[in-house]
Amino acid sequence: MSTTARTWRFYLSGFALLLVFDTLVQVSFKLTGTHAFPPEASWAWVWRIVGHPWIYIALIGYVGNFFTWMSLLKHAPIGPAFAASHLDVVSVMLASAWLFHEALTPMRLLGAGVIMLGIVCLAFAESGEQAAHDAPAKAALDAMAND
Amino acid sequence: MSPLIATLWLVNVTLDTCGQLAFKAAASDAGDGAARWRHMASRPWLWLGLSAYALHLASWIAFLSLVDLSKGMLLASINMVAIMLGGRFLFRETFTPLRVAGILLVSAGVAIVGAAG
Repeated sequence: MSTTARTWRFYLSGFALLLVFDTLVQVSFKLTGTHAFPPEASWAWVWRIVGHPWIYIALIGYVGNFFTWMSLLKHAPIGPAFAASHLDVVSVMLASAWLFHEALTPMRLLGAGVIMLGIVCLAFAESGEQAAHDAPAKAALDAMAND
Repeated sequence: MSPLIATLWLVNVTLDTCGQLAFKAAASDAGDGAARWRHMASRPWLWLGLSAYALHLASWIAFLSLVDLSKGMLLASINMVAIMLGGRFLFRETFTPLRVAGILLVSAGVAIVGAAG
């Protein structure tokens, strides 16, 4: 397999996993909050939260997200990668429409479309030659330390 | 926008940017496998990133107690531009037209979702 194909597979599986974890975290928080309703400054509310399985699923999602993100950043440039991670705005929007019957208004769908268009641009940007022109981040850091 | 909201917004952008750049520094500077995680844990970057992330979470919650989540999303879409600039200056990430267009489009898309309320 060529280096480009390997990098592509690495990004694709990494971002897919990140998306699953991010969506899981937000949906779990919503389910936890709904279960523990109404919010109040009392131990009763805290007990309702920790007594619900979804809060632990949210925590697992957080940990998974951290390890996936740190693995992706080994190669992924931070600027484009941070922007691409916002695909979770779209997945959480769709999950909320499906699970919680939240409205998909035209304006929200427009925003989701623009986000996806941006991610298509980023995908093409990394599949092209340009990506190879990045100085390896470690070399850039070392150069800075020696300046 | 009240001075308090503006200050919290600025603090939020700064902490998010510092945190993500520290994570990138931590992730780029390590080897493979389990040794990679041990190396990261022994260097300050990862801990700096996690501290900035925790403070960012606190500033975000404080910010959201003053503005709606949708307006918060709209305002926080600027973080992507700040992190893009940070990557350019710290890690010499190239500004190709497709990359810049992609980042600006995602940022605009998140702002539109925020403006949609």
